[in-house]
Amino acid sequence: MISISVARGNPRTSRAVSQVLGEAGIGVALVALALFFLAFAPHFGTAQNVRDILTQITLNTILAVGMTFVILVGGIDLSVGSVIALCAVVAGTAMKGGGSASIPAAVLLSLLIGAATGLVNGFVTERWRVPSFIVTLGMLYVARGAAEQYTGAATIYSLPAALTGFGTTTLVGLPAVFAVALLMAAVAWFVLSRTVFGRLVYATGNNEEAVRLSGHRTGVIKVVCFVIGGACVGVAAIIYMARLGVASPILGQGYELNAIAAVVIGGASLSGGRGSVIGTLLGACLLGVLTNGLLLMGVSDFQRTIVTGAVIIVAVVLDAYRKRLSIRLSATS
Amino acid sequence: MNRRVTLAAIVTVAAVIPLAACGQENTGNAASTKPTGKPTVCLVMKSLANEYFQQMQKGAVDHVAQLGNVTLDSSGTQNETDVDGQVALVEKCITKQVQAIVLAPADSKALVQSVAKAVKAGLKVVNIDVKLDDAALKQAGVDAPFVGPDNREGAKLSGLELAKALGKGAKVAILEGNPGADNALQRKNGFNDAVAQGGLQLLDSKTGHWETDEAHTVFGNMLTAHPDIQGVLASNDSMALGIIKVIEERKANIKVASFDNITAVKQYLQSGVMVSTLDQYGSQQAANGIDYALKMINGEQVTGWQKTPVKVITKDNVG
Repeated sequence: MISISVARGNPRTSRAVSQVLGEAGIGVALVALALFFLAFAPHFGTAQNVRDILTQITLNTILAVGMTFVILVGGIDLSVGSVIALCAVVAGTAMKGGGSASIPAAVLLSLLIGAATGLVNGFVTERWRVPSFIVTLGMLYVARGAAEQYTGAATIYSLPAALTGFGTTTLVGLPAVFAVALLMAAVAWFVLSRTVFGRLVYATGNNEEAVRLSGHRTGVIKVVCFVIGGACVGVAAIIYMARLGVASPILGQGYELNAIAAVVIGGASLSGGRGSVIGTLLGACLLGVLTNGLLLMGVSDFQRTIVTGAVIIVAVVLDAYRKRLSIRLSATS
Repeated sequence: MNRRVTLAAIVTVAAVIPLAACGQENTGNAASTKPTGKPTVCLVMKSLANEYFQQMQKGAVDHVAQLGNVTLDSSGTQNETDVDGQVALVEKCITKQVQAIVLAPADSKALVQSVAKAVKAGLKVVNIDVKLDDAALKQAGVDAPFVGPDNREGAKLSGLELAKALGKGAKVAILEGNPGADNALQRKNGFNDAVAQGGLQLLDSKTGHWETDEAHTVFGNMLTAHPDIQGVLASNDSMALGIIKVIEERKANIKVASFDNITAVKQYLQSGVMVSTLDQYGSQQAANGIDYALKMINGEQVTGWQKTPVKVITKDNVG
């Protein structure tokens, strides 16, 4: 009710509301949620628990940062949950029973497989002008099947101690694996907001035709975004193995939807051109804090699932509202 | 792309995935429908991406090769909960007019209609892995013998090992499998039996959806909420792997009892963090089912629950 009357008010107020509902909005929601859990969820505010949350959101953060690039150019990548399994089983097999010397090659392998699937996703989408939704849905099956075929459905274990050790290391109090995610988010933020390529990514998502007419090859930009997304999945696969010490061809089911949820909660538009790495990071935090807090409160599995879904819907509704607001603003100004 | 279209498409695909996942097939030596003297048995399983069913299939293929007097037509769904895909697989077997179906149902109630259809078409049906719902079978007016282990009894046996290791009054938590899955429920019940019989104190019970990463998250948070947990009852070994990771990270003295006996847990049984796991000889379950199917084809009456052996695996017999 309030929001509607504000929207009909003067443009300046509307613009402020629009901004608050963006990155700041998600930040406010995150703080509110954290305060709620501080009050009602025992142990929520302990250093150990904060470290736990950071460890728990690491995978989704990495995947969501990659997904941000894809969504910014108006694409979607449904294959990440399967591709992470493929990267993990291939790289895991390469390291199985080996020493720390086997790690660099396995990391490279994982990155290459991730980037290669991104290249295929992007290339097919652009070359034949098919929705990335369908192409990556196909890749979801291809990569899952390939992972199963490769392992004969067996779980891979006996990974190098140096790798699993890294999974539990802390750097100045932060889990090392989360530091990797944070570093990737920082690089992505820099690329998207401080480089020509980043500006082109946003421009392509907003108005591809205009970018093309100004002499840029939008197809290449979009494919590169898919490759970046894929490479992020390759990193996530290594992090998964570092944390859990195993790789299985059935891992990662549903990860794509968690990553998309983080990006959308972070204020990105699924039609492209709008969104930010900071928003995505906050979105991943929000989902992680929600899961952690509800578990600490002892909320039942079923209620936890319902609440998580409701939060995603509320975030998307806010996003839709914000978009309508900005259209109205451009109409009035 | 229009955003509304994209969102609608996401919803559509979420609904379509189970339908599209009509299954991978692995036909033995011949997919021929008509028996050439040899009867054909259809083996319909759950996800072949699961190591457990993969081993089960291998056991069946080896067994059939040894028998030599039966043709095997085996198939599985793409994921554990792919009910529609499995219904299609059963119907395929009916259409092919095979002599018997050995079925590991993806859902203990939803597959009953397909089983009734098969029985009425004159096929012999043997139920393995997860028992079909008795009430639903009675309602459909059919009977299919169940050849398989007692998940509840198995979980109880594994849980009692934990009770023995920790002693009376020890505080424990349960990690459950997928809510709604029959074997998840049976194992949870079995763990609860062990908790009651062993005098343990249950602090929390939550699902980890059978998965390592989720079990790691859920148990990590559980341990934060209840730092005094001394033991965990994990409904499968994949989740136990995630739990053990948490125990290692926190350097906690917590023991785990589990279920399945996959090779990846051997080292933890040896090191002592895992007290017990349960081997229900999954690789032989389908083979057992095929034996009973052959008996039925030869006119023998088989009804009720034919229990197959289970074995508690501990440090002493892990090898």
